[in-house]
Amino acid sequence: MELFTPDFGLVFWMFIAFGILFLVLWKFAWPVILRSVDSRADLIDKGVEYAQDAKAQLDNARSEAESYLNEARRQQADILREADKMKTQIIEQARSAAQVEAQKVMDNAKLQIAQQQKEAQQQFRNQVSEFALDIAGKIVHNQMQQDAAQKKLVDSLLDQIDPAK
Amino acid sequence: MLAVVSLGASASVQVEADSAEARINPKEIIFEHLLDGYGWEVPFDHHHRMPLPVICYASDGFHCFSSSHLDHGAVYKDGDCTFTIGGPESKYKDKLVEIVDGKEVRPWDISITKNVCALFICILLVGGIMLWLAAYLRKHPFKAPRKGLGAVEVVVTFVYDGVVKPILGPQARRFAPYLMTVFFFILVMNLLGLVVIFPGGANLTGNIAVTLVLSICTFVATNFFANKHYWKEIFWPDVPWWLKVPLPIMPVIEIFGMFTKPAALTVRLFANMMGGHMIVITLTLLIFIFSAISPVAGGATTVVSLIFSIFMLLIDVLVSFIQAYVFTMLSTIFIGLAQEQEHEKEEAADKHNIGKEIVDTLV
Repeated sequence: MELFTPDFGLVFWMFIAFGILFLVLWKFAWPVILRSVDSRADLIDKGVEYAQDAKAQLDNARSEAESYLNEARRQQADILREADKMKTQIIEQARSAAQVEAQKVMDNAKLQIAQQQKEAQQQFRNQVSEFALDIAGKIVHNQMQQDAAQKKLVDSLLDQIDPAK
Repeated sequence: MLAVVSLGASASVQVEADSAEARINPKEIIFEHLLDGYGWEVPFDHHHRMPLPVICYASDGFHCFSSSHLDHGAVYKDGDCTFTIGGPESKYKDKLVEIVDGKEVRPWDISITKNVCALFICILLVGGIMLWLAAYLRKHPFKAPRKGLGAVEVVVTFVYDGVVKPILGPQARRFAPYLMTVFFFILVMNLLGLVVIFPGGANLTGNIAVTLVLSICTFVATNFFANKHYWKEIFWPDVPWWLKVPLPIMPVIEIFGMFTKPAALTVRLFANMMGGHMIVITLTLLIFIFSAISPVAGGATTVVSLIFSIFMLLIDVLVSFIQAYVFTMLSTIFIGLAQEQEHEKEEAADKHNIGKEIVDTLV
């Protein structure tokens, strides 16, 4: 039965010891420990929230960047297409301009050629007539070497000159 | 295994040698281990005890002397008073008594007995560990401690976040210091009780005085800080009027309930821890009882008892934790019931029921 009757001495010391323990821990230990545990839990919660936010923002930024990139790509294609168009246009223009110029040069050349031909013909003619005179002179000279011929000629010439005849 | 068997056999030889002086008395040995003493057994030596101070208020005032004067039933004269330890036939068996006119009178005895000494050791341990943890956390407010202190903090958060906060809610901070102190105090006392030699071995939580004081504290915390709703529920509960007037049946039951709750706390912890100690001692004693019959039986019992003892001690480690947890949880629930507002009633009742269910499955 002694087992079930609380001993006065132990009850007395238990009250004192437990009271002291409680007061000491209540004053010096538990506020610090519980505050620290709570605030650390809060910090971790906030950290997780922040990380999630950051991840969402990153995802957002990524998709935004993607859209920007797409836009830039589209613009690039547009510009390239535009440039291509312009290139063909310029080439076309250049080609037509070149054609006109070439025509002009050709016409000019033709004219010059014609002129030069004319000049050449004239020259040729002069030369031919010179040659003809030379030849004629030479022939005449040859013929005049004979007296008879000379006489005859003079006669013929005199005949011609004599208006009376 | 063989070594254990031979150990058992040699023990039986020892017993036979000793049996000439005295047969072993299991009941006496069990109670010696379960109850308090004025000295503390020296490990592995049955004849010597560490002396502890005896303090008492006798017929002519306070007396304080070493318990070594009272060893083996010696009579000690301190000043004008004569003291001794009550013998087996005495009304105050194994207790300090003052001899006045040839009669044994029990003085007001506040000796530092084995249990009180173990209590102080436990208080120092718990206080030291918690102040250490607090110092660490004060130094590094946002850093989780590692190793030993980390383990302590895990248990702190386990009880605080797992029991105190969910049940008490916004009131958690107010009552947490008491509940956490109770939890760690019981846990450390339970575990120290499982250590066989000094500084453990005292059956402190298996002593009704200790559990009684703890549940008185819970009773005070419950009723002293209770709100109006709690008192209304006791004196004017929500039941048909004929249960309240003219015969106040329900109020009487409720008032009775106020006291049964802490009584249940007292007995639950006390009985569980004492039972655990008793089983282990009994299993160990079986070796000596059977060895007294025959060495072979003794050897065989040694093996079986040893295995069972180890098993029971491991279970007791678990029980130590569970009982500390249960005591804290029930205290929290009792305090929580005295704190709840009217609209929270059903919710708290659910919690209460969940708590009870857990307790029923555990105990």
